[in-house]
Amino acid sequence: MIRNSPDTGPLLEMENVSVNFPVKGPYPFSKKRWIQAVTNVSLQVSEGETFGIVGESGCGKTTLANAMIGMVRPTAGTVRFQGVDLYSLKPQVFREARREMQMIFQDPFSSLNPRFSVYEIIREPLYIRGQASETAMKAKVLELLKLVGLDEDDMYRYPSDFSGGQRQRIGIARAIILNPRFLVCDEPVSALDVSVHAQILNLLMDIQKSRHLTYVFVSHNLAVVKNICQNMVVMYLGTIMESGSSDAIFANPLHPYTKALLSAVLDIDVTKPRDRILLKGDTPSPIDPPPGCRFWQRCPSAMKGCATIPAKLAEVEPGHPVACHLISGFSPQQVADGLHEPVSPKSGG
Amino acid sequence: MADTVLEVRNLKVAFPCSGGVIRAVEGIDLDIHRGECAALVGESGCGKSVSALAIMKLLNTPPAVCRADKLQLDDLDLTHLPDRQMERIRGKHMAMIFQDAMTALNPVMTVGKQIDEIYLRHSRLSRREARQRTIKALELVGVPEARSRANSYPHQLSGGMRQRVLIALAFACVPKLIIADEPTTALDVTIQAQVLDVLKNMQQVHGVSALLIAHDLSVVANMADTVYVMYSGKIVERAAMQELFVEPLHPYTHGLLASVPRISDDRQPFVQIPDAVPHPMRKPTGCYFHPRCPRSSDQCQQRMPRLESLDHEREVRCWHPLRQPHEVRS
Repeated sequence: MIRNSPDTGPLLEMENVSVNFPVKGPYPFSKKRWIQAVTNVSLQVSEGETFGIVGESGCGKTTLANAMIGMVRPTAGTVRFQGVDLYSLKPQVFREARREMQMIFQDPFSSLNPRFSVYEIIREPLYIRGQASETAMKAKVLELLKLVGLDEDDMYRYPSDFSGGQRQRIGIARAIILNPRFLVCDEPVSALDVSVHAQILNLLMDIQKSRHLTYVFVSHNLAVVKNICQNMVVMYLGTIMESGSSDAIFANPLHPYTKALLSAVLDIDVTKPRDRILLKGDTPSPIDPPPGCRFWQRCPSAMKGCATIPAKLAEVEPGHPVACHLISGFSPQQVADGLHEPVSPKSGG
Repeated sequence: MADTVLEVRNLKVAFPCSGGVIRAVEGIDLDIHRGECAALVGESGCGKSVSALAIMKLLNTPPAVCRADKLQLDDLDLTHLPDRQMERIRGKHMAMIFQDAMTALNPVMTVGKQIDEIYLRHSRLSRREARQRTIKALELVGVPEARSRANSYPHQLSGGMRQRVLIALAFACVPKLIIADEPTTALDVTIQAQVLDVLKNMQQVHGVSALLIAHDLSVVANMADTVYVMYSGKIVERAAMQELFVEPLHPYTHGLLASVPRISDDRQPFVQIPDAVPHPMRKPTGCYFHPRCPRSSDQCQQRMPRLESLDHEREVRCWHPLRQPHEVRS
């Protein structure tokens, strides 16, 4: 939304995307139940930006990222990449489009084939595409190895010889070998040692600058998201709670969940004591979630209407939509019904 | 030293294996005072969990080889205590909270029964009395509807609830020392905040000393009184929590703190420590941190520095600490 010139649309656009997964019932022929992993999500990712998806585990952030690059077919809604509806494409065209979008996985231990050498791992995408000669592939792999900070000698070693950080570098090289425009980083550093986090993040930022990539950065680490993302969404139980530029969200979080999330993040600044909002209870199950606002059971300022009426995203400030009845308010009729009264007097912490 | 609850002197753990010997812990000293929460911080593979297991005497020997000059829990000398007698100490006098509650709890036993066991094993209570204590223990850690929840199996509880059950288990007999090994690593941020709150509260209510094992500096900043920083099996710095975070002296601690992204400021690119932790079988000569250290010199490549105390309050193992000692104790 920031760097977009008005005549070109966003690089990636999701419109009312929902992803449901069936779960087996307790006995045969019992009514099928659905995990609503992602519900009615719309967002836009512009060319060249880093877009953050933030939320707790199970909130659907990985499913959403997978739906972006064609790994999970949405139950409803459309995903448009460069203006083209990704899931209406014929399989062959779809495969071509997929080359423009790649992924870096969370766990560098399970995402690399232990029986492939580094060379085989990195060249695999080129090899599958089948247009490059062996020498061309070798030259390309070598170039990428240098780019990600590994040596020529590493080419014929196996993943087990490398540390977590080095493996993640291999994963990055594999992801960019086809010169994609769009890269989804699904928790790229959370499985790594603390002292290596900064190395990998810096590498990702350098590559973005030199190759003009667009990133979608999935993370539960708010501090990282704040530092590298321009725009972001905060997700809870499959729905977007708040979205906008990360500056706006961090400076002025509006949704009670965002506020709680921000205050729950432990900081290492020991000099500044902070008030902490402690949320009660756990994230409810995404199987048949409640009809109203999905956060209301844990919300410190829940009102009577929150349980039944879904909160819709509404722009409070320009480019900063929030899905909360506290912000959007109830209609006069609903207020007359007493839906705006607090559920129970709860303190915030 | 009457108020030292745990005193560890020169604890060493090694694992002989086919390619050589992995020296996981190379002579660490710990002193934990009554009611204090000490933290052992380090990256994966630095030996912090192994130290904890060695203190609990939970390592299988063989393959592990453990040695300590002294291992004293309050008035109990554990240095050469045989396994049989350790069983009477574990759970009653010192207890452990494990990282992954799903694997730490028995999946085919209700959580209530697992806590009952502790009371039945360590004190003379009837089953009914034990269950009453169990329910009280679960209530204390904030498990709602404790009476019915005691009859649940671990898989029926959420991650945060399971971790609370583990905390209730560890505090059941009000031990002298709790060792918490990455108690919140498997949890989400909002749940992590809840569980840390419970842990801190329990520790203060019962006046129990704690040894917190963590790799997450922000958890340490919120929990610990004293911090020991470990690197490659050795303690490289010890200080009170505030001092350590405000003024780290070892270049490793300094780099680690600087590299953590903070919400409170924007810094890009992130400050990074080059390279990675050395392989435990291929540790460098001299100071283990010197290949990654911006302050390293010839001296660092040749000799391992000693843990020297500064201002009597803190210790650092470095030839070129960020601040020179005003006085050096021998």
